[in-house]
Amino acid sequence: MKLNKNFLVHKTGNDTIIVPTGNADFSGVVKGNETLGAILDLMKKDTTEERIIQEMMKMYDAPRETIEKDVRKIISSLKGIGAIDG
Amino acid sequence: MTGTYKMAGKIIEINSLYKKVHDYCKEYSCVCEPDITVSITQADIDYERKKSAAADTAEGRTPHVSPDDYLEELAVYRKIAEKMPEYDTFLFHGSAVAVDGGCYIFTAKSGTGKSTHTRLWHTLLGERAVMVNDDKPLIHVDDNGAVVFGTPYNGKHRLSTNIAVPLKAVCILERADENCIRSITKGEAYTMLLQQTYRPADSQALIKTLVLIDRMAEHTAFWRLGCNMDISAAELSYNTMKG
Repeated sequence: MKLNKNFLVHKTGNDTIIVPTGNADFSGVVKGNETLGAILDLMKKDTTEERIIQEMMKMYDAPRETIEKDVRKIISSLKGIGAIDG
Repeated sequence: MTGTYKMAGKIIEINSLYKKVHDYCKEYSCVCEPDITVSITQADIDYERKKSAAADTAEGRTPHVSPDDYLEELAVYRKIAEKMPEYDTFLFHGSAVAVDGGCYIFTAKSGTGKSTHTRLWHTLLGERAVMVNDDKPLIHVDDNGAVVFGTPYNGKHRLSTNIAVPLKAVCILERADENCIRSITKGEAYTMLLQQTYRPADSQALIKTLVLIDRMAEHTAFWRLGCNMDISAAELSYNTMKG
């Protein structure tokens, strides 16, 4: 899976914001913290949920189940707005 | 039909299928070599019809039938807005009023009362309050800050002036029983700024637009106003924001 080309990732201050282009069906914006930013960075190239979890475990000192829960929640939200292909 | 117009300092040639858009833009007409050429096809008009229906549905309204010449007006401004980021300019949704050489933009979702509030400024300040654009101004950003332009696309009451005024503040407006205003950070304002900015379909133009918003935010004060429709709301917002 990969970030859809109609969604841009914009970082401003401590926030990561997903902004849809005029071509996307979703017309809102999604604001998140650095965890969202890290996941989106990983999704610039085609990847899998498991690979994202592995990378996040290298970056953050937290139990796998916590990371897995966060990653799944974020991916589910992104899928909900059409921001993920595959 | 072809006509040439000046908006936000750029000369725009409009090639349309119908006359209406030329009547709509006539106060901005000029005779110059164009920087931008906008040509409309039936497919552009059909795209606007689809977009309008989707917006009506999203906001819980029954999609209404609009004539092609009206939809063409929308298509023209969309094409202009797509090209403007190349010239460090973007389209913003808000009611922009100028007082003593500074422009204040009130922004909010449609139906909140932006135009009602800027009309109160006019009641309070008389001719000192000049309506720059009641609905969709163009904003040009450079190293010195942002400048707000009147354009023909100025809302249902057709209120605008063909002028350019430095932007002083952006105020997010909400309805409230009691009037209150507070200064907010760029971070607090940012989501609303993005939602109220025209987002180009072209991703490079969108990237440029985001850079322009960030640059504008460095030079602009942000406020959040809760207001009713009494003149005291305008007294509070003007006296606080003028500094």
